[in-house]
Amino acid sequence: MSSILEVKNLCFSYDPNNKDGKYAVHDVSFSVEKGDIIGIIGHTGSGKSTLVQHLNGLLKPTSGEVLLNGKNIWDEPKKIKDVRFKVGLVFQYPEYQLFEETVFEDISFGPKNMGLSGEELTARVNEICEVVGIKKEYYEKSPFDLSGGEKRRVAIAGVMAMRPEVLILDEPIAGLDPKGRRDTVSMIKQYRKAYGATVIIISHNMEDMALLADKLLVMNKGSIEMFDTVYNVFSKYDRLKEIGLAVPAAAEVLRRINEKNSSIRTDIFTTKAAAEYLCAYAAGEKGA
Amino acid sequence: MSDKQIEIKNVTFSYGDGEEKRNVLENFSLDIERGSFTVILGHNGSGKSTVAKLMNGLYKPSGESGKVLVDGIDTRGSEHEIEIRRKVGMVFQNPDNQLVASVVEEDVAFGPENLGLKREEIRARVDEALKAVGMFEFRKSTPHHLSGGQKQRVAIAGVIVMRPECLILDEPTAMLDPKGRAEVMDIITRFNRENGMTVVLITHFMEEAEPADRVLLLNDGEIISDGKPKEIFSDIETLKKAGLDVPQTTELLFELKQNGMDIDTDAISVEETAARITAALHLEEK
Repeated sequence: MSSILEVKNLCFSYDPNNKDGKYAVHDVSFSVEKGDIIGIIGHTGSGKSTLVQHLNGLLKPTSGEVLLNGKNIWDEPKKIKDVRFKVGLVFQYPEYQLFEETVFEDISFGPKNMGLSGEELTARVNEICEVVGIKKEYYEKSPFDLSGGEKRRVAIAGVMAMRPEVLILDEPIAGLDPKGRRDTVSMIKQYRKAYGATVIIISHNMEDMALLADKLLVMNKGSIEMFDTVYNVFSKYDRLKEIGLAVPAAAEVLRRINEKNSSIRTDIFTTKAAAEYLCAYAAGEKGA
Repeated sequence: MSDKQIEIKNVTFSYGDGEEKRNVLENFSLDIERGSFTVILGHNGSGKSTVAKLMNGLYKPSGESGKVLVDGIDTRGSEHEIEIRRKVGMVFQNPDNQLVASVVEEDVAFGPENLGLKREEIRARVDEALKAVGMFEFRKSTPHHLSGGQKQRVAIAGVIVMRPECLILDEPTAMLDPKGRAEVMDIITRFNRENGMTVVLITHFMEEAEPADRVLLLNDGEIISDGKPKEIFSDIETLKKAGLDVPQTTELLFELKQNGMDIDTDAISVEETAARITAALHLEEK
């Protein structure tokens, strides 16, 4: 299978001369298959945000390369704008960047930049709003009259409207209430399903990562600590704790029970799966 | 002397003017007991942050009616502004916006310097505050080079160095990684338990309500529920109405109960949750 995105030996220093030899990202290599959802976790300052800003050419590697569909994105620096349409990046707190007078205009901003206009532009906005469930009655509202969660989703829809093959979101659910969190997560899933897109999400929310991601990339002090399935990553409990991370609450509870009784499994990471397992366990005990 | 740290009495607060005017709070009342630990939960736009900013006089009640008293002092009078800010310290979501100096200890000294205290007094207070948040060894560091949790601890030191009676925190852990969140929650809880500091914590993380004496649910500017953490999280209907969830741990217990297990669902912490399940499964030590 061919990778949609490949990062090879990427190093980045905020100081272009790199006098002190310190790197924000150091010798990072990984590849992402088309259609995967990759979660990136890591302590604050571990280099997560710096890394993803390389994937759409916002930052240029000090050394190493980023390949999109097998092609180095910096081969033709003048065409870097095209890369930014193919790899959409949603920043932290994207709602602070809403500035147009209406929701419709805000969502149109990206596709307009790509050169769409008139009916084509309207069709594009209509389509993305339908996919992610933004109702037409919102079109003429001012983004500033929306709730925090709604603003966030409009801002994300603005990036999705460019229909990127790879959608990257930096802390898309931070600061949202539980309903806002659910709505935003389901919006991301809908986008991926509709377009077969590849999704990369940075988050500190281990529960949502367990539910959403196919694989987790763990960053620690600028380097990759692990890049593996959700199962394998969350199984490394002690190491995750050491580097400032955690496992989902359900797994933490199972570990405590396991300390009392070692026949209890600890390798279950979502609340629902843990409940099913414990009920099955109870039934099994009764039967025995 | 009253045992009320903060009294909000029949306050209305609105943003904007004329046609744009919107009431966030209407005839809102709330008392905060001295030495208590209160958590305020509510969806985005429920009025939580407005309530917090009213509590230290950053916002004043709109119109003529209603008042906010801090230790009996009306926040409306500008002559008491400094006294009120000193009694009630406030910590915000993003530590990067709260740190101003290029060295940690200078940042923490910023407030006391403005009070015109003697050098030795400032030195003593800064050291004490940094020790209290476990950042003393970083006193010569640049805030920029610290982790998110460390930065937020420095921001908290910069507030407690003023020796406030009450600490208000508006989503202080929203941007932190799990370790940073645990560090900050640990410090807040300690200030309350050991120093008797009044704490008001606003958060979207339901599990952070666990150490509180009292949890308030805010919905569209109204308190729709007020009780102990376990009472609040056993009323799922009201939580759902407010757009909120139960903590993951409590949810696990509810799922088990729904699946027919005979189990108590009134636990929030990981330890308690594990203990409930161990009991329900009649697990022996193995």
